[in-house]
Amino acid sequence: MTRSDILELIARHTREILPGLDDHLFVDTNRLVELGANSVDRAEIAMLVQESLGLSVPRVELFGPKNIGELAELFLTKLHAVA
Amino acid sequence: MQSHSPVITGVGVLSAIGSGKAAFTEAMLDGRSAFGVMQRPGRQRESAYLGAEVGEIACPPEIARQTWRAASLSARAALVVLHEAWNEAGLDAVDPSRIGLIVGGSNVQQRELTQVHEAHGGSSTFLRPTYALSFMDSDLCGFCTAQFGIRGMAYTVGGASASGQLALIQAAQAVVGNQVDVCIALGAMMDLSHWECRGLRAIGAMGSDRFANEPSLACRPFDRDHDGFIFGESCGAVVIESRQSSKRRGIVPYGTLRGWGMTMDGNRNPNPSMEGEVRAIRQALDAAGCTPSQVDYVNPHGTGSVAGDETELKALHACGLTGVHLNATKSLVGHGLSAAGVVEGIATLLQMRAGALHPTRNLDHPIDDEFNWVRDEPVQHQIQNALTLSMGFGGINTALCWSGAH
Repeated sequence: MTRSDILELIARHTREILPGLDDHLFVDTNRLVELGANSVDRAEIAMLVQESLGLSVPRVELFGPKNIGELAELFLTKLHAVA
Repeated sequence: MQSHSPVITGVGVLSAIGSGKAAFTEAMLDGRSAFGVMQRPGRQRESAYLGAEVGEIACPPEIARQTWRAASLSARAALVVLHEAWNEAGLDAVDPSRIGLIVGGSNVQQRELTQVHEAHGGSSTFLRPTYALSFMDSDLCGFCTAQFGIRGMAYTVGGASASGQLALIQAAQAVVGNQVDVCIALGAMMDLSHWECRGLRAIGAMGSDRFANEPSLACRPFDRDHDGFIFGESCGAVVIESRQSSKRRGIVPYGTLRGWGMTMDGNRNPNPSMEGEVRAIRQALDAAGCTPSQVDYVNPHGTGSVAGDETELKALHACGLTGVHLNATKSLVGHGLSAAGVVEGIATLLQMRAGALHPTRNLDHPIDDEFNWVRDEPVQHQIQNALTLSMGFGGINTALCWSGAH
């Protein structure tokens, strides 16, 4: 699993929760809140990504990342820690 | 017609025989039904429960895809019927802080919750955070008030199969008490899982497998061969408001909700009580200032339960209502449980407007011949004053008295 794979997972699950983003091209600097995700949507997206990765991250740690690039970094770090 | 009685200015309905009031009215007067072995995922488990399902619900264009995606089946049904009723009543022109919503029904999303539990296989590690919202019935209030901008009050009421009528009573009281100018009563779609179907069958309330090979014959309220209710997905919304409020927008109402009654039997169990039903009917008539002889139509609870059907007809006799026209909406749409009281209120209003009464399916041998049954064919009749009844597990009886716009 690469950083790019994780970013794609985040994009896929974000599109699932926010159906209006079907044609959006996701980039590292995208912030979920600016894409229209409210706090519940963001929690849903994060949980769906964790389920896809088979990885459980404490919710408090998910408050750190400022954009989806940083979120992908966090998940990648956690994956490596588990491995 | 009592001048202080609240009026009805909009309705929205969803059922297996037709969604939207035009399709519903046509199917109802045509005496259609749509019973079969239920197919919705999560509703069968080594079983073949009969019922009537609405199929896929179409999302109105005004509702955002994001909202629709997040909504459960019950929430989608609520949004659709409220959308229809809202537009008919022209509620965009009403101060949102003077609009309220009462949702009738409790534990209405059991199938979706069961599906979540089963999908996670006993582990809650990856449970979706929105479960914290969706496991509560009040989520329907959240969806509806967010979508339509309702700023008065909104809450749920539960009274088993009388929940819909309870919502109508609460909404009417909110208008009469000037808490709001407009209050919508919503009978929530009960979304049963195979667990609830099993329980309802085991307790003897849901009909047996007797008509498994001929599902269209299974739902038979007041017929000699009845043996329990047959479930039917449905949902309805009724806009109730003060006469002054409706006049401000020039709306011609369907009619008025003149009076209501609610009694308890002091009984936790499902068995009915004639005494409790009689008291509810008399309360409603007294509140409406209506005598039994002025009532010309009754939309009964009529589930197809042996004890329930017999007790209800005895109560009508005891109240001097033997001469009324009588049909059974559940013979067409099935028993919507939490939704029933609202959907049957809507059926009554639409029959008033159509000047006709719908047939009752499968009423081959009425258990009581003394009533003026509407059987195989619709009957032309202009309802003047109607009574609608609901009873629920736990000994609750409710009755509503309606009058036409004449």
